Amino acid sequence: MKWLLLMTIGGSIAQSSLVPALSVSGVTPDLPLILTVLIALRRGPEIGCAAGFFAGLLQDIAGGGLIGAQALTKALAGFATGLLVGRLSVSNPLVQVPGLAILTIAEGLGRFLLLQFFHYPASLGGLMAHVVLPQALYNGFVGAASALIVAAADHARSRGWA
Amino acid sequence: MKFGRYGLLVSVLVVSLLLLTVQTRGAGTGRASDAVALLLAPVQNVLVKVHRGALALWMNYTDWKAVQRQNASLRAEAERLRVQGLRTEETEYENARLRRLLALQQRLPLSALAGEVIGRESGGWVRALTVNRGRGSGIVQQTPVIVPEGLIGRVVQVRSETSVVQLLNDPASAVGAVVQRTRTPGLVEGDAAGVIRFKFMARDGAQVTSGDVIVTSGLGSVFPKGLPIGRVASIEDKGSALFHFAVIAPTVDFARVEEVLLLTGRTPQDVAGLFAPEG
Repeated sequence: MKWLLLMTIGGSIAQSSLVPALSVSGVTPDLPLILTVLIALRRGPEIGCAAGFFAGLLQDIAGGGLIGAQALTKALAGFATGLLVGRLSVSNPLVQVPGLAILTIAEGLGRFLLLQFFHYPASLGGLMAHVVLPQALYNGFVGAASALIVAAADHARSRGWA
Repeated sequence: MKFGRYGLLVSVLVVSLLLLTVQTRGAGTGRASDAVALLLAPVQNVLVKVHRGALALWMNYTDWKAVQRQNASLRAEAERLRVQGLRTEETEYENARLRRLLALQQRLPLSALAGEVIGRESGGWVRALTVNRGRGSGIVQQTPVIVPEGLIGRVVQVRSETSVVQLLNDPASAVGAVVQRTRTPGLVEGDAAGVIRFKFMARDGAQVTSGDVIVTSGLGSVFPKGLPIGRVASIEDKGSALFHFAVIAPTVDFARVEEVLLLTGRTPQDVAGLFAPEG
């Protein structure tokens, strides 16, 4: 449980400190979402859901927006990812990149729909074109790279190298 | 287990929705939203501090990287400028040398060709320079070679594009010379130690003293008359021997010669006055 807390808190801190430096034309990856997915892939839907909730909550609190919005969508994302383990070949980068992109879009759509209940003013088209879709692409690649690094670390550990 | 799984999901969703609802109820001005804000304010403060710390750490790191890059770039720039400075200095020295050579060439009453030293042989057996003028430039054997300070030797070997110049301190070198002041005739010879000696008949050289200037005699029609060779450094008195020797301090530092003039023309005129007093 300790590592879970460390990862989610670390992801949240990195999102506001390190990630701006990775900005490409104003687009940044959603590190807490990527971490939620990685955790869910390894630990299943329950832990994925809890990690997503916690990471989203931290993002909400740090971001100063509506607290609970990202907690809810990321919890759903974590849960859904956890359910997919075993049904999809999630270790394949050809699945990881589009998978993470689709998940980001779904999370964005979910957040947008949720925020409609709270009179969120921005249009879906503008949000998709300028925020969600570019971030989905970025998340796909960063997520796939992270998954590969985790897999390599696992491999090294199993061979007794680390 | 399945109930637990979905139970967790439902709980999380309910908590999230509750949070959202509480915050926005009464346009965010009600007691419930105040309570949420009150509860979360310390957490927010802590998070802000942590984020700020992490951001500062990251910025320090990026600044440090930038400074490191800048430092490397400035070092490279400094090195480039240092090399450029050395080149400029070298060019200035070369320019000054060439100006002196050109001035001498213009003063001389005979045709001369400038050449650049491209090789040096100073092992002791032979003391010679190779210059980048040869048969193609009209150079022939025995061509006198000078610098603004005076004579350095003569061409002993001519190739198509280069020539080998035998220096005055070569063991095989012998040049007809006179003491400028007393007109005492003699021969300037090199030796294996690299020393130049002026060999003169004892009966003619009684008045030769240290500091006397030795110039070419012009006899033998190889060298023009009056080319400075050096100054008498000391006299080796051999007593009743037929010849005496004077050790000469050459006017030219043969090791530092880089550009020369090859005298392709001839003149009967004494050229000593065209050289500066110190060569």
